[in-house]
Amino acid sequence: MTGGALGITLTAGLLVGCGPGDGGPEDVRFTFSKREAIPYMTQVVDDYNASQDAVRVELDTSGVDVVSASFVRGNPPDLMLANYNHEVARFVDRCTLTDLGDTRAASRIRPDLQPLMDQYGRCEGRTSALPYSVMAASVIYNKEIFAEHHLEVPQTWSELIEVADTLEQAGETPFYGTFKDDWTVAQGWFDYAVGGQVDTLDFFDRLAAEGADVGPRSAVSFEKDLAGPLEQMTQLAGYVNDDAASRGYGDGNLAFAQGGAAMYLQGPWAFSEIAKTAPDLELGTFPLPMTEDPADLKVRVNVDLAAIVPEGSHHQDAARDFLEYLYRPEVIEGYNESQLGYTPTADAPPPSDPRLAGMTDYYDDGKVYQGASVLVPKTIPVMPYTQGIAFGEDVDDVMRTLDEDWARLARRQ
Amino acid sequence: MTTLATTPHRSELPAPASARSRLRASRPRWNTSGTILLAVCTVTVLLPLYVTVSMAFKTTEQAVDGNAFSLPAPVSVQGFVQAWQLTDFPVGLAMSLLVTAGTVAATILLAAVASFAIMRNWERRLFRWSFFYLLGAMFIPFPVVALPQIQLTGRLGLDNPLGVIVLATMFQLSFSVLLFTAFLRSIPLELEESARIDGATTWQTFWKLIFPLLAPMSATVGIFAFLYAWNDFMMPSLIISDPGLQTLPVRQQLFQTQFSNNYNVSFASYLMAMAPAIVAYLFTQRWVMEGVTQGAVKG
Repeated sequence: MTGGALGITLTAGLLVGCGPGDGGPEDVRFTFSKREAIPYMTQVVDDYNASQDAVRVELDTSGVDVVSASFVRGNPPDLMLANYNHEVARFVDRCTLTDLGDTRAASRIRPDLQPLMDQYGRCEGRTSALPYSVMAASVIYNKEIFAEHHLEVPQTWSELIEVADTLEQAGETPFYGTFKDDWTVAQGWFDYAVGGQVDTLDFFDRLAAEGADVGPRSAVSFEKDLAGPLEQMTQLAGYVNDDAASRGYGDGNLAFAQGGAAMYLQGPWAFSEIAKTAPDLELGTFPLPMTEDPADLKVRVNVDLAAIVPEGSHHQDAARDFLEYLYRPEVIEGYNESQLGYTPTADAPPPSDPRLAGMTDYYDDGKVYQGASVLVPKTIPVMPYTQGIAFGEDVDDVMRTLDEDWARLARRQ
Repeated sequence: MTTLATTPHRSELPAPASARSRLRASRPRWNTSGTILLAVCTVTVLLPLYVTVSMAFKTTEQAVDGNAFSLPAPVSVQGFVQAWQLTDFPVGLAMSLLVTAGTVAATILLAAVASFAIMRNWERRLFRWSFFYLLGAMFIPFPVVALPQIQLTGRLGLDNPLGVIVLATMFQLSFSVLLFTAFLRSIPLELEESARIDGATTWQTFWKLIFPLLAPMSATVGIFAFLYAWNDFMMPSLIISDPGLQTLPVRQQLFQTQFSNNYNVSFASYLMAMAPAIVAYLFTQRWVMEGVTQGAVKG
């Protein structure tokens, strides 16, 4: 009985809520589900709601599945800050998002980030998504261990091997491997090794052009272009802790915080986890050198959050108003400062955290790439494949499988 | 938990008198292998429960130190506080209770009525086929029909807990009807005939006679419906569109992220969500047992 009454009130509420000009503030549903940042965003929403009374923003933290369902149902959120990946890009590809190209926020975004956004998908003639937070990832290293053994940050592949050898001879573990969690192999080992010497933008463009013909006879293939870097990756994987195969992400953070290894191939998200155990540990970052030329050094980035306004939203103008608020320098820079992200607007200062200092120059110079593992469509199980390589499978075999998967998927589409 | 062997085994009877008297005098023997087996089974339940409880009371720092079995030191309720705030626990709990209560009540009522109608009209083709039709739903898992259901509930204004109640009841119906019909077979028709002779209508027969007799089976059906509705994640997450009306399991999804481990907060939240289910089981397990035995012994 209560359920029935509730249902009726809800339906009535929805209908009333949709009618414009009913006197009260316009409701905007804002989806945001990055758990660590919910307190910050709650504060932003509260501040915005208090600053005016035309729009009332409601924060929705219920996650990505719920959003997909709401698109199916036809009542998507009015504004969304989402991790930008292939799943969100599907909404871009199908042109279900409004053009944000004419917003003030869009005019302030660094133009060199656009190719990274387009790499996932695009809707012709529209700026469907605006980057809000960019995460840069590279090798995390323990400054105390490096200082103890008088080591400098390596700039070339041979320097890196030298550092690893020195550490090993001194009885330290050079790298901490958490191969039990396949995503850590893909995100760190695979992506850094590939991105450090292959131009991923160009590689995936050519791969897409080749389509169903990718294979032993094509001009570009995983086997031809990635086998070299991955052989280097297997060489590095020889310097990990003995129990790497049975260690997961959580174990890695704990061990690294306790000084269990000198280097750790993880992103900035691991800093807050490491800090749970060792809040004062001195950590730094540097891009993984894969060649003998320091000019090749690059850091892996991903668009951690992008702003989108779906076409199905009934409150697009109000959503845009809040969007402009979110892109105010103090809000967006404050957000990225607190989450160790880089602000994608052209005039923004880099995050002040010393742990990120090793990556800032590369980000400012645009020496960045997106991880190869996230650019492969999710239907191809690339993460277990990379894990297989870490466990000692033959690189060429795995790359051939990847080529076949890619060609098969291209044929089907 | 221990199995006691009080009666001497048949083959031991022709033993000498002294041995027999010793046997009679000795205390009831342990069934060692059975006890060990049951003890191991108990551990599989108690150990995770222990970890859940102790994790919930740890500080974040201790929760990630890799020793799941250690006792919390110092004891912290910070996990509960955070979990309470992050999930908006009272509202989530109310929604979960609403959905569960609605599903349990609707399942018991509809399944009982449908089974009664089907069993007493078994010889008619329409009823027989409708039984098979209801059973057919057992072979359709929710994910298969998720997309059309999302659209349908959206258009009908059922994208809220009420819609979840309707759908969950529908999916629970087939199994419940199966249980009820099997149980109804064991209720003698003569009882109903005597009621009719006294002038009872079909409705009165059902409400005053059959439904009370179905009580043990209703408890079983209710418990299955309870467990399903209370624990279900996928259906509410897809059907309910207003985040303010989400159920607890969906709110708790927040704790499972790839990059961050907050075991103390998550386990505190799980513990709070488990509590009603455990309490409900403590109070109703008697009826479950009765239901099982009463279904087994005819009449």
